[in-house]
Amino acid sequence: MTRRINVIGVGMVKFAKPGQSDPYNVMAAAAGKTALEDAGVPYTEIEQAFAGYVFGDSTCGQRAIYDIGLTGIPVFNVNNNCSTGSSALYLGAQAIAAGAECVLVVGFEQMQKGALGAKWDDRTNPMDRHVNVMNEVQGFTGAPGAAQMFGGAGREYRWKYGTKRETFAKISEKARKHAAKNPYALFKEYLSVEQILASEEVFDPLTRFQCCPPTCGAAAAVLCSDDFARKHGKSKPVYIAAQAMTTDFATSFDEKSMIKMIGYDMAKAAAKKVYEQAGIGPDDVDVVELHDCFTANELLTYEAIGLCPEGGAEKFIWDGDNTYGGKFVTNPSGGLLSKGHPLGATGLAQCTELTWQLRGTAGERQVEGAKVALQHNLGLGGACVMTMYRRDA
Amino acid sequence: MSNELRFDGKVAIVTGAGGGLGRSHALLLASRGAKVVVNDLGGGFTGDGKSSRAADAVVDEIKAAGGTAVGNYDSVEDGDKIVKTAIDAFGQIDIVINNAGILRDVSFPKMTQQDWDLIYKVHVLGAFKVTYAAWPYMRDQGYGRVIMTASAAGIYGNFGQANYAMAKLGLVGFANSLAIEGKRKNVLVNTIAPLAGSRMTETVLPKDLIDVLKPEYVSPLVARLCHESSEETGALFEVGGGFFGKLRWERSSGKTFRVGRAISIENVNDAWKDITQFAKTTHPENITASMQPIMENLQAGPSKGGNALIDVDAALGYEYPPMEASYDERDLALYALGVGAAKDPNDPKDLQLVYELHGQGMKALPTYGVVPAINMMFALGKQGKSAPGLNFGLDRVLHGEQYTELKRPLPTHARLTHKARIKDIFDKGKNALVVTEFTSTDETGAELIKNEVVTFVRGAGGWGGERGPSADVNVPPERAPDAVVEEKTSENQALLYRLSGDWNPLHADPGFAKAFGFEKPILHGLCTFGFAGRQVVQKFAPDGNPDYFKSIRVRFAASVMPGDTLITEMWKESATKVVFRVKVKERDQIVISNAAIEFFTEIPKPAAKAKAAPAAAKSVPNSGDIFRAIGTFIGKNPDTVDRARTVFQFKLSAPDSVWTINLKDAPGGVVEGAGAAPQCTLDMSDADFMAMATGKEDAMKLFSSGKLKISGDVMASQKLGFLKKLTPEMVIAEMNKRLGAGGGEAAAAPAAAGEYQPTAADVFIVIADHLARNPEMVGKVGAVYLFKIKDPDASWTVDLKNGAGAVTEGGTAADCTLEISEKDFLDMTTGKADAMKLFTSGKLRISGNVMLSQKLDFLSKIPQDQAKAAVMKVRGGAPAKAAVPAAASAPKSAAAPAVIAALTKRLAEHPELRGEIAAVIAFKVTDPAAAFTIDGTGAAAKVSDGVAANATTTITIKDGDLQALASGAKTARDLYQHGALRVDGDISVAHRLGFFKGLV
Repeated sequence: MTRRINVIGVGMVKFAKPGQSDPYNVMAAAAGKTALEDAGVPYTEIEQAFAGYVFGDSTCGQRAIYDIGLTGIPVFNVNNNCSTGSSALYLGAQAIAAGAECVLVVGFEQMQKGALGAKWDDRTNPMDRHVNVMNEVQGFTGAPGAAQMFGGAGREYRWKYGTKRETFAKISEKARKHAAKNPYALFKEYLSVEQILASEEVFDPLTRFQCCPPTCGAAAAVLCSDDFARKHGKSKPVYIAAQAMTTDFATSFDEKSMIKMIGYDMAKAAAKKVYEQAGIGPDDVDVVELHDCFTANELLTYEAIGLCPEGGAEKFIWDGDNTYGGKFVTNPSGGLLSKGHPLGATGLAQCTELTWQLRGTAGERQVEGAKVALQHNLGLGGACVMTMYRRDA
Repeated sequence: MSNELRFDGKVAIVTGAGGGLGRSHALLLASRGAKVVVNDLGGGFTGDGKSSRAADAVVDEIKAAGGTAVGNYDSVEDGDKIVKTAIDAFGQIDIVINNAGILRDVSFPKMTQQDWDLIYKVHVLGAFKVTYAAWPYMRDQGYGRVIMTASAAGIYGNFGQANYAMAKLGLVGFANSLAIEGKRKNVLVNTIAPLAGSRMTETVLPKDLIDVLKPEYVSPLVARLCHESSEETGALFEVGGGFFGKLRWERSSGKTFRVGRAISIENVNDAWKDITQFAKTTHPENITASMQPIMENLQAGPSKGGNALIDVDAALGYEYPPMEASYDERDLALYALGVGAAKDPNDPKDLQLVYELHGQGMKALPTYGVVPAINMMFALGKQGKSAPGLNFGLDRVLHGEQYTELKRPLPTHARLTHKARIKDIFDKGKNALVVTEFTSTDETGAELIKNEVVTFVRGAGGWGGERGPSADVNVPPERAPDAVVEEKTSENQALLYRLSGDWNPLHADPGFAKAFGFEKPILHGLCTFGFAGRQVVQKFAPDGNPDYFKSIRVRFAASVMPGDTLITEMWKESATKVVFRVKVKERDQIVISNAAIEFFTEIPKPAAKAKAAPAAAKSVPNSGDIFRAIGTFIGKNPDTVDRARTVFQFKLSAPDSVWTINLKDAPGGVVEGAGAAPQCTLDMSDADFMAMATGKEDAMKLFSSGKLKISGDVMASQKLGFLKKLTPEMVIAEMNKRLGAGGGEAAAAPAAAGEYQPTAADVFIVIADHLARNPEMVGKVGAVYLFKIKDPDASWTVDLKNGAGAVTEGGTAADCTLEISEKDFLDMTTGKADAMKLFTSGKLRISGNVMLSQKLDFLSKIPQDQAKAAVMKVRGGAPAKAAVPAAASAPKSAAAPAVIAALTKRLAEHPELRGEIAAVIAFKVTDPAAAFTIDGTGAAAKVSDGVAANATTTITIKDGDLQALASGAKTARDLYQHGALRVDGDISVAHRLGFFKGLV
């Protein structure tokens, strides 16, 4: 990347349960305006906008952004399942790299109650290859599809390394602990490992409190070039040090492995690219927002992105290396598990949290002296976007 | 590697093999055992110079690696000499790789003819010469592989390479024709378009790209195509830099104009989108496929003509998407009022048309039969669905004529399905007529109404097409009318009539009407039609009964204004036909002409509802009927095949059957047994299949509850959605075909295994049998029950009060009467439905002493085998495979005890297993419950009952799965991943359960 991409404004709304939120356009416009205010940039300066969402008819992006302004700029609608938000971010970054000066990226989702399901039953299901792998490996039950997939990966991991159920629950307990300090989070009350294990079993080893809830919300970021940042008096803004996006490799389907099917190799390849681009490795990272849609996926992601060696996640967790005082702080925001997971907004909410962390404005959640932040956002179907953020001292 | 692709004993010529791609091909083939003729002229890449150095160096290289090769230094223009080298040195020739080439890149204006000819000679003539010389050998020996080397420049064009591109694409055509000629003799010819760094490409590509484009990345494809196992021929590949891909032609669906009609530049211009867009495409692979659209057009026959407004070819015969609609008493009443009925509310005949609680029953005004068709036209218009080829707006259209026919009297409410098609298009010179036929069928699928709407399209004629019938029909005779009715329409008549569906503003909006040249909103032509129809029926139908109405035909001649007085003149032309016309009194103007109404001589009856057969003779469709109905459906809807593109196999159990639904290979079809190899296999019980196919069970639920197992492509199962379109009638039709005429009786004898379905009568047979075995029931229950079974109707009395008790058909008096449909009764007695739920939902009505019904719970306790035997006895030994009453299936014998016993034995015989187990493993077995513990920590491994307190790992498993584990049918890993084996504690212990295998 020859042009540096700066994140000069971020914003989000408090996440809410389905049915208790504002309409998507209201949430998205609020997040976008907050990000613009944060950047100190009027909407008229925005040259392009990227809007991520999964559920809704075409051009919801325009509808949402029209509530911020009507300047006739290009608006792109982005849909990439759970990695929608960061896919929009990726496109925004590309726009700056390609010569744009300042763009707005908004992610939002107005979800319905209950587990995710397919909406179109008269055409090829985009996840049919994934489902076929699962059916071959472990059959099909009445549990929510995503829980079967990530839970199945958890089963496979347990079989391989003998991991305790408590270890998975421990991730959720940490998420609750972190979310308690995040005013934007959905689930702020603390739950013990025992309470988490005692909740209804969704798909062994996952219990209810180890699954992210359907959530409504929105988040946004303003990206700009160095020139633009200078002209607007931004000194030492947070910037994107590296970014990579991957989709499924043959291993997702060929190896008949649940772990591979849910995107382990996508994450692994994206991490490798990010570390190569940035010229620094996981050891230099201070704070991480990663895709904990289910506890099993947070655990697998530790290994996929190199926070701990393969097979080392259980020790990593019980050593407390995923929280304050340990090697990294993962999901200081509470993550998808506790902050909530509005599909289109998640990637930008992660960006928002990490930007605050690098600016040192994360309040009670502040990771001391955070200089390097890493973001991991994954969608089945599939796509994985990883972004490394830095801020010069 | 044992599966290495070898070329031992094969002789290959590689031209231009002194360097680059040729050298790489030669080295690779030689390394796999081929004897290679390394040909290279040794010139520069522009074709000048000559030396033997380049070829010799490669020969040396091959020999040094232990291979066999000879050099040849001839130009490819002397191809016969190169082949001769091969024959002289090795006695045969099997593989020819035409690789030699040169470049003369120059922009077209600067190109000389020498540049053009030279390129042609080396690439095209050279390939011809070498291949031509080798061809007879390859043909005679029935084996040959030829490779042509083309280029992206030839396929896509490239600046400065016009000569080279010409030659390269020339080779593709050359190869494709040779492939056809050589195929029968196993001489296979393919073309590659490689991208590789060589002396030739050094001039056009940057250095770092050339480094990636190694010749070694191309040669494996060439070798693969030349191998004896290859069957590929006539193909073109792009290859290089690690990429391998096959190329094919793609053709847009295009635009076909019917022949026999001039095709103008504008026609082509207007169809430009169709011609050029690739939304729907074909990939012709040979000349026959290429010709297909032309052949289809020839078969379609010559054009029927048309113009900018009407394209007869496109429109004629077009079927609109079917539409469903319903009407009820309110619609009929509103219509009747709209056409002037019941002005005298005390006229009993008219009141019958508008009052749904009329003492003699409500009757439909038969001309209502036109309304559904008109409403369908409006609905199609609203949805923007127009027939292809009809390119005119409503502004050109007038309702010219109308024909409405009823197959039987309209019921007072109905759910209809309308189908419409363009039946005729006539060229009336200046104008055109379009005849649209509507057919409306009722809930049973029987045709109820037929309509023909003749629309007059202003200024749309003149293409010289068929003029259609011209003779005037229904001309009134010269004599005075047999009846005349004068009736004034009301000033708000149009406003009233439009509520029946024709909302055209022309009939309501004064401004709109003015814009169309009328002084005020005009009355609907069909309103006048309704007035006249009602009057004729009143005058001439037997007893004025509208049920005798058969059909009406009118021509609309002029407009009527609300408030006009209508004079209808009628002539009775025969016992069943009345000719009539309508005039407006105020203007003495004929508004409806050439009109007639016909009557039935006898009122047609609605298709008799299948009469309830006696309970014992009830015919029930089986799964075979459903599959045959699917087959019929596919035959009628070939597009299902296009859409699904999958072969499904159903494996049904209890009774067992296998059916294959082929939705992949046109025309598709259904066969019993295994057919084409399935992509998606569905395993389920016959009963669940029936429930799913009849909509009682949801496929997704069956799937997620494990009752439906899908293997292969799971998601393909979503393409079975069309099954929902099967109607009960279609299935019943198949059943009747199976049973033959009077099928009811045939079904009663369950002749073939697997076709037997229990009936209510069977249940009573079982009850009687049970009563004979348990005479004490009479004393215990002490009541008489009457079962009134409906649909089909039957009554049974179960006397558990008097004497020895009795079960008899019929009966009237009882202490407790239960009314229930046969289906619900069977569901209840087979445990599929809960009696309490049936009762609370109103499906089971109990009268008399309600509480006595609780004493009937013995019904669900009759052992199944006993029930079966009872039925078999009465039915003459017919196999009764399907479940007959008995809710609880007989308990299976548990596997756990046998497993424990075998385990104890095995551990005693193999004390060394202790080391393998090395843990205390508790087993909690469920369904039925059992518990045992294996202790592998002591001096000798042992098994004990119950869950030991010191167990480090607890395994929870169903009895059936334990059996599978012990028999080796399933592994612990598999059971675990499926969630069927739960491990608490140390999971690694579960890795070591291999010693279970073969226990039982």
